[in-house]
Amino acid sequence: MRIPGRLKRPDCLNPFLLQKGFSKELDLFPHILEFGVKKIQTIRLTSFPVEKSNSFSIYYIWDGRYDWLIDDRPYILYPADLALVLPGQPFGSPRGTLDIGSYGWISLDIGTADTSLGPFSGLSPTECRSIRKILLLNNVPVATSMKETGKLFQQLAQELHLQEIGYQTRTNQLIDALLILTARQLIQQSHSQRDFSGSFMKLEQELRKNLSHQWAVEEMAALVGLGTTAFTEKVKTYTGFSPLNYLINIRISEAIKLLKQTETNLTDIALDTGFYSSQHFSTTFKKLTGYTPSQFRKDNTDLP
Amino acid sequence: MNRQDCILTIDLGTGAVRIFAFDLQGIFIGSMKGSYPTFHREHDQSEQDPEQIFITVLYVLKNLLNERIHPSGYRVHAVCFSAAMHSVLPVDKKGNPLGNAITWSDNRGKQEARQLRSSPSGKTIYDATGTPIHPMSPLIKITWMKNEDKHRFHLTARFLSLKSYIIQQLTGETIIDYSLASATGLFNIHSFQWEEAALDYAGILASQLPQLVPIFYSDLRLRPEYQASLGLDATTRIIAGASDGCLATLGAGVWGEGKATITVEQSGAVRVVGKDVLIDEKQRLFNYVLTQDYYVSGGPTNNGGVIFEWFTREFGSFRKAFDLEEAMEGLIQEASKIPAGSDGLLFLPYLLGERAPIWNANARGVYFGLNMQHRQQHLIRATIEGILFEIYSIGKTLEEHRAIHTLSINGSFAAYPFWAQLIADMFNKPVHVKNNSDSIGLGAFLVAATEMGMYQSLEEATRGIDVPGMFRPDKNNHEVYMRLFPIFERLSSKLADDFEEIAGLQS
Repeated sequence: MRIPGRLKRPDCLNPFLLQKGFSKELDLFPHILEFGVKKIQTIRLTSFPVEKSNSFSIYYIWDGRYDWLIDDRPYILYPADLALVLPGQPFGSPRGTLDIGSYGWISLDIGTADTSLGPFSGLSPTECRSIRKILLLNNVPVATSMKETGKLFQQLAQELHLQEIGYQTRTNQLIDALLILTARQLIQQSHSQRDFSGSFMKLEQELRKNLSHQWAVEEMAALVGLGTTAFTEKVKTYTGFSPLNYLINIRISEAIKLLKQTETNLTDIALDTGFYSSQHFSTTFKKLTGYTPSQFRKDNTDLP
Repeated sequence: MNRQDCILTIDLGTGAVRIFAFDLQGIFIGSMKGSYPTFHREHDQSEQDPEQIFITVLYVLKNLLNERIHPSGYRVHAVCFSAAMHSVLPVDKKGNPLGNAITWSDNRGKQEARQLRSSPSGKTIYDATGTPIHPMSPLIKITWMKNEDKHRFHLTARFLSLKSYIIQQLTGETIIDYSLASATGLFNIHSFQWEEAALDYAGILASQLPQLVPIFYSDLRLRPEYQASLGLDATTRIIAGASDGCLATLGAGVWGEGKATITVEQSGAVRVVGKDVLIDEKQRLFNYVLTQDYYVSGGPTNNGGVIFEWFTREFGSFRKAFDLEEAMEGLIQEASKIPAGSDGLLFLPYLLGERAPIWNANARGVYFGLNMQHRQQHLIRATIEGILFEIYSIGKTLEEHRAIHTLSINGSFAAYPFWAQLIADMFNKPVHVKNNSDSIGLGAFLVAATEMGMYQSLEEATRGIDVPGMFRPDKNNHEVYMRLFPIFERLSSKLADDFEEIAGLQS
C-alpha cells in the first residue's frame, strides 16, 4: 500500500511518495499527479500486476533490474534507464512482482491541447506540438543511459522539499526540461542518425497517417531528430524538394486517388488531404496539373 | 529548328525522376530531380504509388521549365523517356490504377519463379524473351497475381509499366517501347511481338498489354491541359525512348567490339552491346532490346553499393548526423591502407540474395578466411573487394561469349577512384569512368537526336561521346586478385545447400 508522506531527505535514495490531493508539497503544482521513489527490499507477490495506466508517467531506474511490460511489449530496464508510459497503456511486471532495487517516477497531467502542455509549461506552441508528437508517438518507450534524467529527478525532489525562494518556477522549469530531454532521447534512439533514408521513410509514414494535419517544418524535423535548418537542407538534397513541397506531392497524389475512385465531394477531399479549403485545394491542384479538380475528375472517369 | 531549341530527357528511376536538358549540340543545360518512396508493406514486397510518381514528374518538369528553360528562351523540341525496368501496374478499364505499382526489387513471386525455372517451358520462355526467370520479371509478378491476388487480377483491364502509365497520363496513349517490353519476360526479342507462350503462362491476352512501339516512336502529343500548364505546345515531340539499362549503355559510348560497361549504383550490372543475342545454356544472362538491330546483354547484381552503405551505417564513424557520404569516404580511406586482397580475407556480398551469375535468392553474406592478424581495415577492404568480385564474376560469365578489351564504368560507387582502380586491377583492363544518371540522360538525348535525323544511326551518335579519365590496371594487384577469385567462385556455389538452410532459419 502506498502511504502519502513527506520527503525525509532531499535525495532520491530514500523512498517517498507525493500525491496530488494528499501532499501539501504539490498544492502549487496541480499538473503533478504523483512523484516518488520506491525501494524494494523483499519480493512480494502481486505487488505490481499489469494494469491500464491512467496517466502520463516517466520511470527512472536507480538500482536493480526490472522486466516490465509496456503496451504489451516486454522491456528489460537497468539502472539509469528510463521508461515512458502513456495513459491507457497496459503497464506492469509480467510476473506481477517487483524485483529488488529502486526506481523513481513522476506522473503528469499534460492535457490534450496541441499547442500547450498546460499553464505550468514555458514551451512555445511549436515546440510543444513537436514534443507532444514525439512523446505520444513513441514507438520505443524505453531510453537507456539517461543519467541526466536521474539528476533532474533529484533536483525536482530537492526543490519540492526545500521550497526555497523561486521554487515554483524552478520546479516547472525542471518538468519542461525533463520532457524535452525525454523527447530528444527517444527520437535519437529511434533514429540512429546514420540512416537518413530509413528515418525519412518513417516520417513519410507519419505524414500519410495524418495527412489532414497542418504540418509545420519544425514538427517534421523533430520527428527525424534534426534541427529545422539541417532537416530542410537534408530533405532538399535527398528528395529535390523542400519539406513543404514534398508534402504537397503527397497531398496531391492522395487527392488524385480520391478524385478518381470515389464520389467524395471536393471539400471533403480537400480537408482530408490537408488543404485549408476547397479553394486552396483547387488553386494548388490547378497550378501543378493544369486541371481544376472537377475537370480532372471528369476527364478521368469518362474515359471509355 | 534553331540554336535555341532544346531536348529534355525524363528518366523514371527506381527512387527518383531525373530530368535533363540538352541543347541540340548535346551540351548540357541543366537538370533537376525529385524522389518518391518505395513501400515495403510486407517482407519481400516493394511497391510505388503511381500517382505520386506522376505528380513528382509534373512538378520537377514544371520547375525545370520555369527556372531554367523558359527564362533562357529555349524552345523544347522533344522530350524522350527512360525508365527502370520490370515494373507492373494493373489498371482498370478506365485506365485508373488498381493499387500500387510493383517494382523490380519485389520478390513476392519467388515460388512462381522457382517453378517456371525448373520446368521445360521456363527454358523456352527464357530463350524467346531474353529475360531471366526471376521474381523481378513482370511475367512472374503477373503469374503471382493470377495465383495469389485473384480479385485484383480479374479486375485488371491492362497491365502497364510505370513508364506506360506516366506517358498515358501525359498524352492519353497507352504504349510500351520494345526496349522496356523486352524486360517484361512477355516479349519475343526475335520477332518483336508479345510471346504467346509467356502470355499463356501468365494467363493474360496481348490486348491486356500496352501497344508495342519502337524506341524512336514519336506520334505522341501532350494533352492540351499540360501544354498550357507547362508552357509547351503541340509541336513538342514526345519520344517513347527505352529502358534505363539500355540507355546507360548507349550513353556510356559502349558500342562495338571489345567494349563493356559496368554500373555500380545501389545494385549493379555488367553489359555489352551487339547485333546478336548471347545464348547462355545456364540462363544466367539477359538479352534486352535496344533497337531492332541491337541487343544489350549482360547480368545484374542485387549487391552493389547498397552493401557498402549497410557496412558504413553499421560500422562507419559519423561525425555529423546522417552524413553517410563522409562516413563512406572515411572508410574508403582506411581500406586504401591495406594491400590488395586484404591479406587473404574474402567477402561474399550476398546480403540481398543474388541474381547473376548464381541466381540464388537464398544466398547470404560471408566473411571467409579471418585470422588474428586481420584488423578492422581488412574487413572494410574485403567488403569492397567482395562487392567487386561479384561484378567481376558477371564480367567473366560475359567473357565466355564476347571478348572484352576496355571497360566503361558508371554509377555513384564506381565514381570513387579507389573503386575504379580496383575494377581495373581485377579485370586487368583499362577503365573509363562516367556518371550514370548523366549516361542515361545522354543515351536518351542520342535517341532523340537520332530520331530527329541529326545522326544517321545510334552507332554514329555514340562516336561523339568523349572518353573521360582512364584507370590503368596494376599487374601485381591483378595477380593477387586472380589467386583469390577461384576461392570466391567456389564458395559461392559450394555453399548453396548451407545458404538454403540458413535462409530458412532467418525467415
